[in-house]
Amino acid sequence: MSDAVEPRESPLKDPSGLFFEQPRTRRTIVTSYWIVVLLALPLWWSTTSIERLSLPVSRVHSTGLKQLHFPLQVEFDHNASSLSFEALEKETRARFSSLQRQSEGRLDYLDLRFVAIESTAGHPAATGAYGVSIEPSLDRATVRDRHLSVPVNEGATHIPFTLPDRLVSLLSPYTSRHPPGRFEHLVAKYAPRYRLAFTMLNEDAAGGRPVVGWDVQEAISRHLSPILDQVADLHNFTIESQVQFHSPLAFAPYEIKSDNEEIHGLTQEDLKVFVNSAEWTLSSSVSNDPVLHFILFIPSVPHTPLRILDNDHNPTSSNAFILPQWGGIVLLNLPPDTSSPPHLSEGDLAHTFSIFRTQLLKLLGVSDLPAGVEPADTHLPLTKWQLDTLYRQRAIENAHSSQETLQSIIKLVDQISNMPVGEGVRGDIQNALTALNMVYTVGWQSPIQALRHSSEALTHASRAFFNPGMLALLYFPAEHKYAVYTPLFAPVAVPLVVTALRELSAWRKSRRVATETKT
Amino acid sequence: MRWFAFFSLILVQCSLSAAHSGEEYHEELKLRPLPDGKLAARFAFTTLLKGAIPRAPTNLTVNDESQHYTLFPLAMGQLLREYAITELHLTLNAGKWDYDRWGYPEEPGVGSGAELWTWMGDGAPTSIDERWKAIQNAHAGLFCASLGSMDTQRTTSPTRAFPPTGDLPRLPAPHVHRLRHATLPAEHVCTENLTPFLKLLPCPAHAGIAALLAPHKVFDADWHGLGVHVRWRAGKGVELVMTVQAVFDPVRMSAERKRDWSFHSVFDRTIPRSCPVATTSLIHVELPPPGDGSYTLNPAPSTANQAVATFSISKDLPELDVTMKWGEESRFAYPLDASSTPLSDFSVQRTLKGSSQTHGQLSIVIRNNRPTELSVLYLETMPWHVEFYLHTLRITGPDGQQCNDLFSNMTYTPPVPHAQPAMLQAMLTLPPLTTLRLTMDARKSFLRYTEHPPDAQRGWDLPPAVFVTQSASGGASKRVYTPALLVDLATPDFSMPYNVIIMSCTLIALIFGSLFNILTRRFVVVKVDGNVPKVQ
Repeated sequence: MSDAVEPRESPLKDPSGLFFEQPRTRRTIVTSYWIVVLLALPLWWSTTSIERLSLPVSRVHSTGLKQLHFPLQVEFDHNASSLSFEALEKETRARFSSLQRQSEGRLDYLDLRFVAIESTAGHPAATGAYGVSIEPSLDRATVRDRHLSVPVNEGATHIPFTLPDRLVSLLSPYTSRHPPGRFEHLVAKYAPRYRLAFTMLNEDAAGGRPVVGWDVQEAISRHLSPILDQVADLHNFTIESQVQFHSPLAFAPYEIKSDNEEIHGLTQEDLKVFVNSAEWTLSSSVSNDPVLHFILFIPSVPHTPLRILDNDHNPTSSNAFILPQWGGIVLLNLPPDTSSPPHLSEGDLAHTFSIFRTQLLKLLGVSDLPAGVEPADTHLPLTKWQLDTLYRQRAIENAHSSQETLQSIIKLVDQISNMPVGEGVRGDIQNALTALNMVYTVGWQSPIQALRHSSEALTHASRAFFNPGMLALLYFPAEHKYAVYTPLFAPVAVPLVVTALRELSAWRKSRRVATETKT
Repeated sequence: MRWFAFFSLILVQCSLSAAHSGEEYHEELKLRPLPDGKLAARFAFTTLLKGAIPRAPTNLTVNDESQHYTLFPLAMGQLLREYAITELHLTLNAGKWDYDRWGYPEEPGVGSGAELWTWMGDGAPTSIDERWKAIQNAHAGLFCASLGSMDTQRTTSPTRAFPPTGDLPRLPAPHVHRLRHATLPAEHVCTENLTPFLKLLPCPAHAGIAALLAPHKVFDADWHGLGVHVRWRAGKGVELVMTVQAVFDPVRMSAERKRDWSFHSVFDRTIPRSCPVATTSLIHVELPPPGDGSYTLNPAPSTANQAVATFSISKDLPELDVTMKWGEESRFAYPLDASSTPLSDFSVQRTLKGSSQTHGQLSIVIRNNRPTELSVLYLETMPWHVEFYLHTLRITGPDGQQCNDLFSNMTYTPPVPHAQPAMLQAMLTLPPLTTLRLTMDARKSFLRYTEHPPDAQRGWDLPPAVFVTQSASGGASKRVYTPALLVDLATPDFSMPYNVIIMSCTLIALIFGSLFNILTRRFVVVKVDGNVPKVQ
């Protein structure tokens, strides 16, 4: 500032006297460049960074700690019995808690409550409660809706010995009658909609005795529709069927020659590779719904009769098997001598479809009634006890797997810092969390509501997990960015920095000179 | 009124629930010895879903009924229902069909590459274009072909050249049926397409006529193609025809250079047994015209007339190997005058001329081979990469005079760059026994960096032009495909982006540096007195 007031000569003699050569102007220029650069930095940052919305991490973790609880109220009608309620309760609780210990925590979600009521039979129980009554007039145990009626004596056994077992078995059928882990392995993963694909496979129709048709619609409506209607709250079903006329096996069946006939057998290893997916056209591509296959396999003439062998290669009486989570297969050996009908009527299919029904129930996870207990109403094949257990089981499964999915999303996003998280993902996660919370709050009241919310939670969680937007910039490495930026930023930054430093030192020098001259 | 509503409700219920009343399967093989010693074979596998009606697009909102099929392929049935397809044609061909020497094919769709066209009704919750996209993807999955790249840049709607071959059900008032058509000339057809194709047949590859389809022989043929055709025939039902066409060269395959053929020599297979579910199973052999040498046909046909011998495959028939022999011929003599007596009504040559990367000229030479005037529909579909200058369209006659008046009734959809292809449909009148030359200038576009295919240096395949004969007598019109063209567009060096980044960064840095330097430089006067310069 001080050198600006020097006496003026011709500006050409002393350029520092020119207005644009004054240090003040120069400093303003340098500062304005820097201001522009600094102002541009946030813009650059926002245009080059990826969208990563914050996820409700704490909510996900806190939901992970929650436990589903289903209260099971058992109302014991001891009006007409000699059995003491306390003894029954004690015995049942003892069985149940020993089962809980065995199942390694997988039964903790059930809260048993026992209530003794004094009422006449047929009195409507409280909603969702299970009733037990002893009726001397009966000769066998029956279940109607949620009510179990047992006779006083069943053959030689006195009821008090079997009742607690049966109760526990009805309330938690999965753990009391299956070894742990086995059941989950068999049942198909939950989906709101399944496709049931019925396929009749002629191993080699051209080789003789083809079956060219089957009354599949009638058989389905007779044998399966009642069940499908009853589980309609759990799943919707799309049904399709086809017939194939050439579907060879991928292996040669094992041959057994007994005294008067030749038997072809499938060993236990053959069963695992029975489905020849290279040659059989079973699946189609129109939807993503999981498919449960039901296959009626008609062996070719040279392979008839085809039997299933046990581990010692002896033929068994069984002619059907389940492939876990995939579907069921029934072998149908046509009688060798008679000119067999080319068309299978509903009557011919009755046996096959009753097996398909059992297989479908197994694959859907419907539990059997315990031995010695029968449904009172034969028109409704599934009782409320079975359906309730299924709702509870599926709700637990879904809630569990949606929690797992949510946690893995959080973990994944945490691990990969380049992964974008868009509005869609966050919205889905929040919806999943809301639905999960609903499961825990509503679950108390009705298992079916819990199931609906848990299914919703699962849908949202998996949609968030498979959101294609999360992959967008995953493979855009930082080195690439530097390679693109360096050629621009290095040559621009060098003069900027150097000039700034030079001006700074010049300014400091001039200030020092100014203070020295003042003092 | 109430009764009417009730009645119509019942009608709707019937049309919804009564899916079909039966299924029929017919198989047929037609063999045609050609004058140039080749053998044209056409397999047709027809499945009829009796009484079935294509799904109404308005019903796509409700859950579909259960689908039960015996002979009709389930995978195909599901696709047709899922997207409410009324009519569908998919062809996958390789080679150039020589109309002059081979005449018209049994199945008209012989354009090389993949061709897919559908008629669909609108009124569905999803638009026709969304369904069209889904149909491509579904068929791409079903037949292992890359049909998914038939995007809007390749889709046109040439309704005059591709009218429905079956019937279209009536739709409620504002809705109509629409056509979507696309070709992929660069698509190859191979074993991976034939295998899923055969799987859709009731008797695949081991019985019946389909047993003849050995992939290594079919794909060795001079020309070969697969086709899937679905149409609705009012009063009959939904018909699915799956075809395989091939032109074999028995002369090339025989050691003695003879044109004798048998199932064994041509297909490397015979028919071992009949298909138990086929209603009819026929083999037609077209007999050569009299005067074309004496021949023997073995075994004796079931029925025969002057022109065609027919073999019917029945259940008790032993293994069938049809043989045709020209006993007196020691070696096949190729006809020398093949080009002077063409089998087709008119011959077309289509070329894209010009060596520059910016401009070219489309040239079509078309000759009427008949002594009568012909009128044909000319359809040209072009991706936007090649843009026509329509005002340069010229038609010149044999003696060089212009005769643009032969071109009439023209419709033109201009291309939209990066979005939509051009489509030109016009009627062309061909004077008897005359050669016309049609030219049109074209501009080749410059593509964006990301629009190039992975094998950019190969060039772009342009779809074939289609000519449709318009017979005055009311007979069936025939479609004629020209061979596909290949155009070489300006192709960049694909390391370009980084070079551009470096180059522009250097420029920016240079400009910035000099500007910044000038603005902030301190100028000083250096006095040169002959002494040492003194710097201030």
